[in-house]
Amino acid sequence: MDNALLASGTLLDLAVGVPLAAGLLLLLLGRFLGRASLALAGNLAALPALLQLGFLLTEGRLGAPSPVGGFLLEPVGAVLFGMSAVVGAAALHKALRQLADVRLPHAYLGLILILWGGTLGAFASPLTTKAGVIAAYVLHEVALIPTFVLTLHWGGEGRRAAAMQMAIYLTLGAMVGLAGLVLCDFSPGQVGPSAAGLILLGFGALVSLFPFHSWAAPGYSAAPTPVSMIHAGALKKFGLAVLIAFVVGNLGAWSDLLLWLALGNTVLLGVVCLAQRDLKQLVSWSSVAHMGPIFLGLWVADRTGQADGLHAAVLLMAAHGLSAAALFALAHEVRTKAGTYRIDELGGLAARTPVLAACFIAATMASIGLPGFGNFWGEFGIFLALRDQALWVQVAAASTVVVSAVYMLRAVAAVFHGPLNPELAARRDEGDIGWTDRLGPLALLAASLAIGCLPFLVTRLLRP
Amino acid sequence: MDASLLAWILFLPLASAAACGLLLRRRGTLAAGLSIGTAFAVAGLALRALHGLGDGEVILAQAEIGRLGETALRVGLRLDGHAALMLFVVTFVGAWIHLFSWGYMREDGARGRFFAGLSLFMFAILGIVLADGLLMTFAFWELVGFCSYLLISHYWDTGFAPPAAKKAFIVNRVGDLGFILGIAMCLSTYGTADFGELAAKAAVEPAPALLGFLLLCGFIGKSAQFPLHVWLTDAMAGPTPVSALIHAATMVAAGVFLMARIDFLLAPEVLQLCLWSGAGMAALAGLCALAQTDIKRSLAYSTLAHLGIMGAALGLGPDLGGGLTGAQLALLHMTTHAFFKATLFLGAGSVIHGCHHEQDMLRMGGLARRMPLTFAAFLAATLSNCAVPFLAGWYSKDAILEAAHTSGGAAFALLAVAAVATCLYSARMIRLVFLGEPRAEGAREAHESPWTMTLPLVVLGLGYSVVAGTYLGLPEAAARILPAPMEFHLGAASAVGLVALALGLVALVLYGRSSGDALRDRAPRLHGILERRWMDGLYDGYVAKVQQPAAELVAFLDLALINGLAGKVLAGGVPALLGAASRRLFHAGSVRATAAWFALGALLLIALLMGLL
Repeated sequence: MDNALLASGTLLDLAVGVPLAAGLLLLLLGRFLGRASLALAGNLAALPALLQLGFLLTEGRLGAPSPVGGFLLEPVGAVLFGMSAVVGAAALHKALRQLADVRLPHAYLGLILILWGGTLGAFASPLTTKAGVIAAYVLHEVALIPTFVLTLHWGGEGRRAAAMQMAIYLTLGAMVGLAGLVLCDFSPGQVGPSAAGLILLGFGALVSLFPFHSWAAPGYSAAPTPVSMIHAGALKKFGLAVLIAFVVGNLGAWSDLLLWLALGNTVLLGVVCLAQRDLKQLVSWSSVAHMGPIFLGLWVADRTGQADGLHAAVLLMAAHGLSAAALFALAHEVRTKAGTYRIDELGGLAARTPVLAACFIAATMASIGLPGFGNFWGEFGIFLALRDQALWVQVAAASTVVVSAVYMLRAVAAVFHGPLNPELAARRDEGDIGWTDRLGPLALLAASLAIGCLPFLVTRLLRP
Repeated sequence: MDASLLAWILFLPLASAAACGLLLRRRGTLAAGLSIGTAFAVAGLALRALHGLGDGEVILAQAEIGRLGETALRVGLRLDGHAALMLFVVTFVGAWIHLFSWGYMREDGARGRFFAGLSLFMFAILGIVLADGLLMTFAFWELVGFCSYLLISHYWDTGFAPPAAKKAFIVNRVGDLGFILGIAMCLSTYGTADFGELAAKAAVEPAPALLGFLLLCGFIGKSAQFPLHVWLTDAMAGPTPVSALIHAATMVAAGVFLMARIDFLLAPEVLQLCLWSGAGMAALAGLCALAQTDIKRSLAYSTLAHLGIMGAALGLGPDLGGGLTGAQLALLHMTTHAFFKATLFLGAGSVIHGCHHEQDMLRMGGLARRMPLTFAAFLAATLSNCAVPFLAGWYSKDAILEAAHTSGGAAFALLAVAAVATCLYSARMIRLVFLGEPRAEGAREAHESPWTMTLPLVVLGLGYSVVAGTYLGLPEAAARILPAPMEFHLGAASAVGLVALALGLVALVLYGRSSGDALRDRAPRLHGILERRWMDGLYDGYVAKVQQPAAELVAFLDLALINGLAGKVLAGGVPALLGAASRRLFHAGSVRATAAWFALGALLLIALLMGLL
């Protein structure tokens, strides 16, 4: 492969432009295409982003600005772009598997491609220039719109209320954040106290910062699985990228507030996870609770001015994207095989689906920070970065290692272990998940293992 | 010596685990062969490494795998005297237990998974043994916890194994919470988590008591010390080789190993805590072992008692005279205990296998004649467990008792109770399982196990309970581990030991007279108190009566206050502000209409932003 071509930035244009263009084309003309052609189009659209990811991993450097779109991978954006490439490809793969069962398959696929393209574009836009910030913001909105539409029309139970709540929170959050950006003229150097506050709360709401989290769990639960994967895994991290670019270092008087809100995510919402009885709700809530340690990483980076908390937070953002997407995909498989998300109606499922059980346990372990997976160094790195802070802060932050283990392992035991639930036993045996359905979750887990065992794949991008 | 040898020792089991788990899941025999072969190969390599290690020599190999700010993430290997002893225990005992598993698990349908788990465990525990600092130790520490979870839940379709696995993992994580904070404090205080650098810096600036206490939390969880001991007895739900390897010989000993490694970070207050909680644990758990009818559970209490003895030894502190430290004594006892307790568990496994998966000691009896090799090994290990003079267990236990008598104060009394209790439950076990007449069909039909199971028993039991005892008396062996060879001298410790042995003989006779459990028949109240699991009840009560209702309450408040109030205001207010159009949008139900509305909004937004440029 000609690295010079890859490094020239053209590939980056293609990585963002192709899914967006393909998505638009499918929306407009897709009704004339058969399912095979749709699948082919979807697969082809994923290629440039995956090639760009390969370049990032093998070369370990960021590359040049793109000639057409003016995209440029910056350290944090590059990591999130790479993660979004994997998450989006897995979600796209999932969506392609669903085409036979959804109405208006071309629109479904087209909107998911736009969602993904927008996400990739938001992370590929430089947050150091005004034009870049505006482009990132617009592309983020471009990705949000399909999120609402997809949830509203292809979602599950409670989709109307969830889509509405999601639209209101995210639109308001984005608007408040935009006000902050305008106030500082899109320049990190000019962020004053009021701009910092607006950006913190506005973009914080996009990342389900406590107490602006109410949209997240119902939204992810109601959204179609590929949408939950891309939004909770990848797109949501855009808010964090903006916070890193604009707020870390400028928090000032908002520091204490961020600490309390981050602990709200970590402790209070961690406790809320203990009360969940629905597998997809649990995965959604845990994804919200896991934002807590990331916020704490940003908080401590602002407070100490040192990079270790920030780097750990970025590593955790990437790892969380992978593990959350894997959990959403696997929870969906549980529902396909057992017909329900309700935990008390499940039990002993491993007898029928040993591979699904093994994958789910692996994703659970990734999510609760088992060494080997990226989440471990992310979480552990954040706890270490908090070393000079008050002991109670450290205790509250690290309590997540116990609480998350409790609710996730409880779910594993209730869903997969023990004797087969009689209600399930009465149901037709659908067999284990096949190779095609394993592919997405396995790719996500492999990516998490890669950055967990070789964290330099991420950290060297952060230290250009 | 070449440091790459250490890398081979560490990573071979990982390769075996990957192959067994991913490729040989349905080929149990092949997976078993690969895993056992790897275990013996690693044991061979470890012997070579130990042979090449000079006196006082330290071998280091480090590779950076990433950098978070200024914190380097490193895979670092370190082989020194401490690690050498543990390396020998882990690889040698591990290899024989692997072989035992061949016979024990022969009819199991999920051998691929089982042996993948065993190999992964070897990787994880070797990572702890060879770690060069706290960061790497912690990574492998967590991995060991996961392997334990995986292997305890081997019989996942039963009602008892999954909760036990979950409990083990979660209780360990409670301890790890403290451990994490301790590591963070180490970095904060000394700026490093590397063992070598820590030792140098702590010599200049003694560690604060809080640091030692936080690090001790990790030990309390992993080594099942009070009040986090509750998981170990439940962990017996796993296959017996797992109980032998992980929950008796190696993983639970890893806590002791770590504490011995960083004993310079333990302030006097922490050592006192360690001494008292260890000694108390030893006495209580020893007595509780008397009230168990399940053979593995009784052995688990025995393990708890011995871990308590090790904790107490550690708590005796760094200056016991003659260059001897409490940590050395703890490590010595960890080593001898690993051999005799592994033998006892494997013996129990052989018995369980012979009696068609019977674990109730009251339904055994008369097995000495039916399983002579198992009996011989079990007896040798039991005598070592009871600290009969000149057997391996005697050297370590006697030395600890002696040291506790001179410098441990009243903790000595608790350890003496533990010594007596050990002899009592051991006598009871021998009597109920091997002597007398069979009390159930399973025991009547029992037969000796195949050679793959008896050979490890003979090697570990006879070889290391008897031969290692003699070895410990040799000056050249002592030079590696201890400042001076162990000698027999009549003191308070040996007096306690002899009284305990005498009481054990009395118990042997008393239990023989009763058809059931002598203690339960004669003192049902006392038996009930010892049998009841007080702390488990407390924790279960906490989870059911405090934690879960609190979670439900917080979830309700979140729903009612944050989601309800704020959501209502937003969801009701904003559409009202935006007018009927937005309301139609969300009820229209047409994809095209919704998309059009959003597209219009997006265009407006883009136009607005372009104006800003």
